[in-house]
Amino acid sequence: MKREAISALRARRGFLRKIGVAGAAVAAGSTAVLRKVAAKSESAAAQKSFPTADYDWTKRKWAFGVDANKCIGCLRCVEACKRENNVPLDAHHFNTWVERYVYLEGEDKPRIDSQQDPVNIAASGSEGEYRFADRYKGAKVEKAFFVPKLCNQCEHPPCVQVCPVGATYKGADGVVLIDAKYCIGCRYCVQACPYGARWFNEEKGVTQKCYWCYHRISKGLQPACVEVCPVGARVFGDRNDHESPISLFIRNNRVQVLRPETGNEPNVFYVGIDKAVS
Amino acid sequence: MPKHIVRVILLLAGGLALGLAAKWYFTAESFYEFGHYRADSVAEIAAQEPAFKTARYCESCHAERHAQWSANNHKTVVCEVCHGAAEGHPQKGKLPIPADARKLCTLCHEKMAERPRTQPQIDLAQHGTGQQCTVCHNPHAPKLAGVVAKVAGDAAAGGKKHAASCAGCHGANGISPNDTWPNLAGQNAAYLVRILGAYKSGAQTDVMMSPVAQTLGDGDIQNLAAYYAGLSCKAPASGKAAGDAAAGKVLAKNCAACHGETGAGTNPAWPNIAGQKAVYLANTLKAFRAGLRKDPMMAGVVRGLSDADIANLAAYYAAQSCGKKP
Repeated sequence: MKREAISALRARRGFLRKIGVAGAAVAAGSTAVLRKVAAKSESAAAQKSFPTADYDWTKRKWAFGVDANKCIGCLRCVEACKRENNVPLDAHHFNTWVERYVYLEGEDKPRIDSQQDPVNIAASGSEGEYRFADRYKGAKVEKAFFVPKLCNQCEHPPCVQVCPVGATYKGADGVVLIDAKYCIGCRYCVQACPYGARWFNEEKGVTQKCYWCYHRISKGLQPACVEVCPVGARVFGDRNDHESPISLFIRNNRVQVLRPETGNEPNVFYVGIDKAVS
Repeated sequence: MPKHIVRVILLLAGGLALGLAAKWYFTAESFYEFGHYRADSVAEIAAQEPAFKTARYCESCHAERHAQWSANNHKTVVCEVCHGAAEGHPQKGKLPIPADARKLCTLCHEKMAERPRTQPQIDLAQHGTGQQCTVCHNPHAPKLAGVVAKVAGDAAAGGKKHAASCAGCHGANGISPNDTWPNLAGQNAAYLVRILGAYKSGAQTDVMMSPVAQTLGDGDIQNLAAYYAGLSCKAPASGKAAGDAAAGKVLAKNCAACHGETGAGTNPAWPNIAGQKAVYLANTLKAFRAGLRKDPMMAGVVRGLSDADIANLAAYYAAQSCGKKP
């Protein structure tokens, strides 16, 4: 009986000691928590404009146009994009790319290749440079054209829907962005995109894609691919501005979008493509 | 309620509270501000520095080149397409001048059935005989039409005009008697037409040449050009030049694309300078450097030359045998 009482006392003493330690830890932690509370009550919305002092994303509605009638397949856009956005210089990772559709006489289906085709890489001389090889020289080409492709920044983006951690989202100005710090590299979004616009950066462990050079457009510049395009095949602008290049492009042309049946409502508008392009 | 049930409920409630607290603590401050994402990440993405700086950035220093480029056919091809992104320039060094123009230019201009017909395209096998494009084309003003003046003059009539107006200074056979005035014999006719036209119009001025050129009609210019182009450029060796021809030869590599290795170029719009008078060559280069003679291509080339460099170049070209290379 006495022995039991002593062991009970010991147990109580041990318990109290633990409580004390935990209390001290809570006291130390509470200052951190208080700091956190203070930080959380300061909202970013309190700024005059978001996300930066010179750029208010609620005032813009960006859109992109591609005129395949003008594209000459020089691939300066692809190289500029790689440089601007630090995309690995290999034949497997592209924010934007260009496809070539060639209908030879007597064939119903187009032959399709892009700059990453081994024949084209052989013509360019390295995986970090891009050029289309003149591979249909001498063949009877009935119809042929180039089609630049990029992220469509869909109105209802499936990639955003499937992200389990809120690492990708659609901004108020219409651009679908990726938070590299929150991305856990699960690659659901890569699977979800019907356009193959997303790719996985194995080195950084995050998904990447075209974001219309958000760091440029939020500073009043054009996306790098639009900036370097020598023939005006790429058009960019603000749909809220009725006279912007993209508003004029959409108004003055019979534009179409890729895979309208998905209901994603892309914001890249095409001219001069046919039904083989998707 | 039985004690053990109360305990379980308390335990679950405690766990729930702990879980909610942890979620609250570990969720980024700006998460949920606009939606199911971290609002701060927008500003982080927007804060990246652009690598391509646009032509306006280039213009702030290279105004002269920019003016020429923006007035010509390549104005839709911005600087950074050929010279690369300007990020870090000029702090981290120069931007490259493309070494292999043939590879670069054909990215857009190689003939392909896939390209729209409005795009100027060349058949690589038949155009330019494997030379670099820059031998004939100025990449900042690529169109040649109008640069190579058409020459359809009468050499005999030109000879009479020469004897009457020009021989006094440029010599009876177009070989000048002194080192300051240029030899004209064997010069490219298209170049002569262009340069006489420039003196006539006032685009280029010279105390001696301007008054003479103003008296010439367009027909006279054509005839004179045809006459000089047909003369033999063989001239007696002039006195020893001031510069070092060997040093000039090294520098001349930078001129070879347009003027040929020895000063006999391939494009008739540009002058032959092989065997030309050394003092005349040096004076002309200095005039380009000082902006007295205006040519966007030459202005860019001579900007970095010292007086010694110019003397060496002049000595090198003066020592070359005139006429086309065999």
